[in-house]
Amino acid sequence: MNEILTQEKSIYIQISEMIERDILRDIILEEEKVPSTNEIAKLYAINPATAAKGVNILVDRGVLYKKRGIGMFVAKGAKEMIKEKRKEDFYDNYVKKLLLEASNIGITKEELVRMIEGSQGEI
Amino acid sequence: MSNILECKDIVKRFKDKDALKGVSLTLEKGKIYGMIGRNGAGKTTLLSIMSAQSKPTSGSVNLDGEEVWENQKCIDNICFSRELNPLSTFGPNNVKVKELLRMASIYYPYWDKKMADSLVKKFDINIKQRISKLSKGMLSMVTIIIALASKSEFTILDEPVAGLDVVAREQFYKLLLDEYNETGRTFVISTHIIEEAADLFEEVIIVNNGNILLKENTMDLLERAYHVSGSADDINTLIEKYEAHHVENMGRSKGATILFKKGERMESSQDVMVQPVSLQNLFVALCGKE
Repeated sequence: MNEILTQEKSIYIQISEMIERDILRDIILEEEKVPSTNEIAKLYAINPATAAKGVNILVDRGVLYKKRGIGMFVAKGAKEMIKEKRKEDFYDNYVKKLLLEASNIGITKEELVRMIEGSQGEI
Repeated sequence: MSNILECKDIVKRFKDKDALKGVSLTLEKGKIYGMIGRNGAGKTTLLSIMSAQSKPTSGSVNLDGEEVWENQKCIDNICFSRELNPLSTFGPNNVKVKELLRMASIYYPYWDKKMADSLVKKFDINIKQRISKLSKGMLSMVTIIIALASKSEFTILDEPVAGLDVVAREQFYKLLLDEYNETGRTFVISTHIIEEAADLFEEVIIVNNGNILLKENTMDLLERAYHVSGSADDINTLIEKYEAHHVENMGRSKGATILFKKGERMESSQDVMVQPVSLQNLFVALCGKE
């Protein structure tokens, strides 16, 4: 939470991604309560329906669950779930864009593989 | 209980001009509506007719099926907090803030005095000052106080943030959300500061030239609006295929704002760049004349 909203994506998607990031970074722990949609709405001056849509994406995926009358909580195993989902999306979100840009500027497949293998990065 | 405010075929004719040309509009209880439109588009005229403060040339306004004009039961549930103008010699300008608030407390049957008092304190308003002596920002604050404390089911604010500095605007948006969360009242807010307020509106109403150009869930609308750019040939193909607005050329390059139908989508490709647009961008594309 408390990140700044951008124009690039729909707000409800940004809200759901923010909650995911907080869960991945242990800012919100499993079995802990997440901020209410009204709190999120007020923090960002957005319509509560928008905030609710962002939260409900995570409920539908089983990352959050609802305790009646109390609020939304982080499910057990949520962190793993989020990582799995991000792995699934990795090709679409990163590899596709990488390949598109590579082809735009004429980087060959071999060059690309060499770059990845030679990188001093974290992998 | 008031649930639906409905305008049917509203025409408002002034001497030489039709300010509203047959507007039909239905507002449901429990939503925050944003009304945007250029100067002179007819927003204020429409809002004052909706709230039974002026009479349409033809057409009707109903609250739950009952005509609102001169109908006390309906009027009790509608608040239209007009923009105060310090220069006008008519209206409440010669009274003090204190007296204006007292008048409002008589006019609005559900008036919340405690709320009004706490907002006066929050905005640091001197209630002994005359309306005509208030700054633009203070005038806006007084209209906001009246709107919120009226506790009317349908509350209409005409440019509530004009004249407010950015901190006070932020404060207003949060106050509004607090009140909305607590009561689920219906708010209609007209504004020119679209960028800030867009995310607040569940639905947006675009008024253009005395007509309603569009009324749609804000999220749904933005999900089908994109800016495309690329070579003139590629963009021309898209313009033929989809609803395109605000086409701009520069050399061989071309850009346009495209309004897809629900469910239609397009991915960025090597040739065509597809970018999301803000409500403000979209508004300019739809209502800006070349």
